[in-house]
Amino acid sequence: MTRTEVVDLFTKNAIKAGAEVARAKDTGELNRIAGEILKGAQSIFCPKVTRKEKAIVTAEDRRTEDYVNASACIEEVFGAVAETGSVVLSSREGKPVQIGLLTAHHVAILPAEKIYEKLDDLFAAYGDSPPTNITLETGPSRTADIELILTLGVHGPERLSIIVVEGQDRKRSRKRTFPAETGASDPS
Amino acid sequence: MNPSNKKIPFRANANRALHDSSLRATMRNITETFTKKREEAISSLPFEEWRDLASALRLQVLDNLPDTISRFTANATRTGATIHNAKDARETREIVASILRDRGAKKVVKSKSMVSEEIHLNDYLESEGLEVMETDLGEYINQIAGEGPSHIIVPAIHKNRRQIGELFAEKLGSKYTDDPMELTKIARKILRERFLSAQAGITGANFAAADSGSIVLFTNEGNGRMVTTLPPLHIAVISIDKVIPSLKDLPLFIRLLPRSATGQMLTSYLSVITGTRKAGESTGAQELHIVLVDNGRSRILAGEYREMLKCIRCGACLNTCPIYRMVGGHSYGATYPGPMGIVFTTLLNGMENAHPLLDATTLCGACAEVCPVKVPLPQLLRRLREERVERRMTPLIEQAGMAGFALVTESPILFHLGQTAGRIFWPIAKKVGGKNVVGRMPDFAPRTFRRRRIL
Repeated sequence: MTRTEVVDLFTKNAIKAGAEVARAKDTGELNRIAGEILKGAQSIFCPKVTRKEKAIVTAEDRRTEDYVNASACIEEVFGAVAETGSVVLSSREGKPVQIGLLTAHHVAILPAEKIYEKLDDLFAAYGDSPPTNITLETGPSRTADIELILTLGVHGPERLSIIVVEGQDRKRSRKRTFPAETGASDPS
Repeated sequence: MNPSNKKIPFRANANRALHDSSLRATMRNITETFTKKREEAISSLPFEEWRDLASALRLQVLDNLPDTISRFTANATRTGATIHNAKDARETREIVASILRDRGAKKVVKSKSMVSEEIHLNDYLESEGLEVMETDLGEYINQIAGEGPSHIIVPAIHKNRRQIGELFAEKLGSKYTDDPMELTKIARKILRERFLSAQAGITGANFAAADSGSIVLFTNEGNGRMVTTLPPLHIAVISIDKVIPSLKDLPLFIRLLPRSATGQMLTSYLSVITGTRKAGESTGAQELHIVLVDNGRSRILAGEYREMLKCIRCGACLNTCPIYRMVGGHSYGATYPGPMGIVFTTLLNGMENAHPLLDATTLCGACAEVCPVKVPLPQLLRRLREERVERRMTPLIEQAGMAGFALVTESPILFHLGQTAGRIFWPIAKKVGGKNVVGRMPDFAPRTFRRRRIL
C-alpha cells in the first residue's frame, strides 16, 4: 500500500467508527483547521509538548491547564492503525494517555507518516517490551446498554476529531516529560 | 446468584421467562440485532481462516498452559506487577480484600469482569465494608437493582428503558426519564465523581500476553480506561485461561472478538497495560496486582471438556442460540448463560446442581458455526448429556420412557403390538392432550411404512 492509500483507508475506517477526519497540508493549515473544529469549545487543554502542539494557538481566556474539567483536549497522538481506523496513544510519550478521555471532545493531531497499515505492524514495533499503556481509540465513547440504543459519550468523549497532517516534520522536538499532573492519579 | 448447593430450576425459570412479553421483545431485539451486525461485520473477510488460526492458537495455549502462565508471571513481575495465584473463588475474594485492606483503600471502582461475577466478588467486598462501584453502565444498572448479568456483553439488557428510568428515580433520586441519553448522563455524572476520588480500580482482562506480561482490555464506554489510569492502585482479576503466547498474537483476536461480540470492527477503546508506571511516564497505576484465578480451570483442562477453555467470551453463541433467544440469560440461574454457559456452569458448579441446564439445548449446532475459536459446543453439550444419562440424573419419567422404548424396539412382538395400540389410542391421547405437546404432534400414518413397501 502506498502512503496515500494507507491514509485513505485510515480515513474511511475512522469515519465508519464515528470519528471526524480532516486533513492539513502543513502546521499552518493545522492551526486553522483546529481553530474551526474547536470553535464551540469553552475551555481547551493542549499539552504543548510537541512542535505540532505548540503550533496550536488558542485565545488566552479559552486555554486551561486543568484537563480534568476542560471541555476539549487537543493533542498529538503517537500514531494510528488504518485497518481499524484507530488512533494510538502511548504512555511512552510522557503525557497521561487519559487526557483525551476526560474531556467531551478529543481532537487528535496525527502525522500522516505515523499511520500503520495493520494492527500487526503496530504490535511488532513494540516487540516484547511495550510501554506501560498503549490505548487504541476508535471513534467516540459509546454504549448500547439500554435497549441497544446507541448513546455516545458515556464516560469518555462524545466527539473524536482527527486532523491528519501531511508532510514530513523534520525538526522533531526533544522528548520531554509531561509537566505537573492533576487529577486523582497524583502520587501521594 | 444461585446457591451452589441447589439444583438450578431451569424449567421453572424458562416458563416464567416465556410468559414475560417485555423480556421476549427485548430478547428478540438484541439477538437479532447482534446476529445481523455480526454477519455484516464478517462478510468479505477471511473470517474462516482467522477462526482456524485462533482455534489452533488457543489449543496450543491449553497444551502448554502451566508454561504459558509461568512465562506471563515472570514477565509481568519484571515490569512491576505483583502476581497472586488463587485456587478458588474464596481465595480470590480474600486476596483482593486483603490488598485493599492493607492499603486502606475503601472507595473502589470496577469495570466489567465476568470472572468477578463468577466468584461473587462484590458481595464479599461490600460485606468487608468496602464501597465497590460498577462503572460499566449495564453493570451499574444491575448493581443498583441488586441483580446479576443476563448477557455477557450487555449485562442489563433484560431491562427496558422504563424499568431503568424507574430504578434510577427510586434508587438515585433522579427525576424520572426513559430517555437513554438522559439516563446515561445521570450515570456519567455520578460515576465521573467516583472515578476521580477512587482509591483503587478493579478490572478483569480479555487477554493476557505471556511474552510481555501485558493485560488487554476492550471497552466501549471508556470506563476501563478510567479504572486503570485514575486510581493509584489497580487490581486485575483474571482467569488463567485468558493467556495468549504473545502480543504478536493479539491482532488476530482483535479482529475476531469485537466482530463476534457486537459486530464492531473494534471497540471504542482497547488498552494494553504492561506493569506499573515507569520513569518518565505520567500514566499507569503506582501498584498493579494481578490475581490469576484457577477456580476449576485446571480440573477442566485435565478432562475431556478441555476445549471449553478456548472460549474468549464474545457472546456470539448466546445470540444465535434458539433457546437463549427465547428464555434470556437469567433463566440459566448462573453467571454464564447460553450454550457456553451451560457447559461452563455444569463443569464449574457440578452436574448435580447444573444438570437441568442440559435441557436448554436443541443440539442444532448454530453455536459452533459462529464461535470465533471453534469450541465444539454441540459435542461438549451432547457428551454432558450422555454423562447425565450415565449418572441417572435425567427426570424419572424420561428414564422410564427410554427404558420402555428400549424394551419395545428390541422385541418385534411388542413393537407390532405398540403400533396397533398407538393407532387406537393416539387419537384419544391427542384429544386429552389438547393444546399441549401431544396435541400438536402429527397423526399416525394410515398404514405403516413396511406394509406400504410390501403391498
